[in-house]
Amino acid sequence: MKLNVDERWNLIEKISKKTVTFGKYQHTLKDAVGELTVKPLTGIPIAVAILYGFWSIFGSFAGTLCTDGFFVKIFDGHFLPFMQKVFTGLPKWLYYIFVGDPLADNCFEAFGVLTSGLFLAIGVVLPAIFIFYLMLALLEDIGYMPRLAVLIDTVLHKIGLHGYAIVPTILGLGCNVPAVTATRILETRKQRFIAMTIMAIFIPCGAQLGIMEEVIPDTIGLVLLYLITGYFIFGFILNKMLPGRSPEILIDVPPYQMPTRRNVVRKLRMRITSFFKVAIPFVLLGCALVNVLYLAGVIEWLGNVLAPVFIGWFGVPKETVGPLIAAFLRKDLAVAQLSAIEMTKYQMIMAVVLVSIYFPCVATFAMMLREGWRELLGALATLVVTVFLYGGLMHLIGIVLGVA
Amino acid sequence: MKILLMGNPNVGKSVFFNRLTGANVIESNYPGTTVDYTKGYMRIEGEDVEIIDVPGAFSLEPKDKAEEVAAKMLRENRDATVVCVIDASKVERGLYLALEIMEEGYPLVIALNMWDVAEDKNIQIDVARLKEILGVPVVHTVAISGEGFRELVSKIKETVPVEMDKIIKRAGGEA
Repeated sequence: MKLNVDERWNLIEKISKKTVTFGKYQHTLKDAVGELTVKPLTGIPIAVAILYGFWSIFGSFAGTLCTDGFFVKIFDGHFLPFMQKVFTGLPKWLYYIFVGDPLADNCFEAFGVLTSGLFLAIGVVLPAIFIFYLMLALLEDIGYMPRLAVLIDTVLHKIGLHGYAIVPTILGLGCNVPAVTATRILETRKQRFIAMTIMAIFIPCGAQLGIMEEVIPDTIGLVLLYLITGYFIFGFILNKMLPGRSPEILIDVPPYQMPTRRNVVRKLRMRITSFFKVAIPFVLLGCALVNVLYLAGVIEWLGNVLAPVFIGWFGVPKETVGPLIAAFLRKDLAVAQLSAIEMTKYQMIMAVVLVSIYFPCVATFAMMLREGWRELLGALATLVVTVFLYGGLMHLIGIVLGVA
Repeated sequence: MKILLMGNPNVGKSVFFNRLTGANVIESNYPGTTVDYTKGYMRIEGEDVEIIDVPGAFSLEPKDKAEEVAAKMLRENRDATVVCVIDASKVERGLYLALEIMEEGYPLVIALNMWDVAEDKNIQIDVARLKEILGVPVVHTVAISGEGFRELVSKIKETVPVEMDKIIKRAGGEA
């Protein structure tokens, strides 16, 4: 026998009356803190403080402490010269692929698989994702995410989403791959498409952020501003163009909880293990691929063919084509590669934004395909239009301001 | 034998899953952490049992893609026993899903989880009475510390499907 909705609720009411008694509810300190963090007047300043704290810890731990303070010294001072010496006997092309430029005195410029590849993966990206995921785990387990969702709800409605879309977006700042699947918590196909597409285009992952923090510390703010602005502009346009509903937010805000060490450590271990399994092979593979393509002359040829578009439309040097190929495998690798190209500050900003928005990395791509090929095709179409429009617009702004 | 772990979002299904199977799925304190299913194994009385961690759902009529996955997992595992995890401080909405699953003819065990939170909120539940009315095992648990797990596991093989009209009768009259 099956009941209809009303019958079921009636039955539940009867059962509940016989079995559940609600005593007097005591308002606790936890509830008070809970309210402070969710009411706009106090909640928004607290949210800004938390996010700012997140960002500064991220930068100072990963960039300043681990990478500059430790890994750069080890890799540039000892590991690179060692590798250059040990592999001197290798045939030239093999040396180039694995060790890179024999004259390089740092791991950003050498660009061999075993020198720069390992340095980037372990020396730059690993500390970045470690600290990112540690702080994320704490925010998740405390129960802060749904509160952030409530606070940002009004803003995200302007781009056809609701507050809860902040959850996949923040996960995307760690890695876009799980974030694509996390968009499933949104109710309609329209919302999922918008969230997935603008996330894949505009949200840089933790690995990429770590490298950006390292190679363009002065201008990273501007790059992020361009990305966030693009996120909202194109979300707004997609919302206007696409049919479908964007329902209201309807979520449970769970009580705050003390994070357990067991769970935080386990989550951190899981996410870092998957980084080692997925990211490191791709970084090394990407390094090798780009070096082979350079040796074969493919990159120079492509650069010459595409030069008018690159220089004329986007205002970046034609050498950017190499990093753009690498970006398909790993965005972090691509940004690192950019740093070795001779460029003005303006060109660098343009190039980093381009690398970020131009194509989701292959792992994200595969994940989007899993969510549906129509979604993927739609996202790709949006992406091509976005790259040209937004890239061109940015260059235009540069020209108008006279900085190009 | 197969077990589906089902329940509303953010009631602790993934904590159950990790505890029961020794596997690792991401646990967080927000609804919608699990959006896809994960399979794992445990031994009950010498038999290997498959357990599936199902995304959270409020009902079997899906309103988002994660709930679609949940309804689909239930449909595709006709022979499964369901462990329905209910937030003990939000019993009614948990029962809604539990009743829906029972109406489909699945044998079910209820875990009243976050029992400690309910106690803090001064909510008392007459477990024996609930068990009697529903006709299925009801166990109170605190998944984070593992309280009540042994009892829960021991009840999984006992449960059988229950007819709705019997529950209605025991609850006292017409639905």
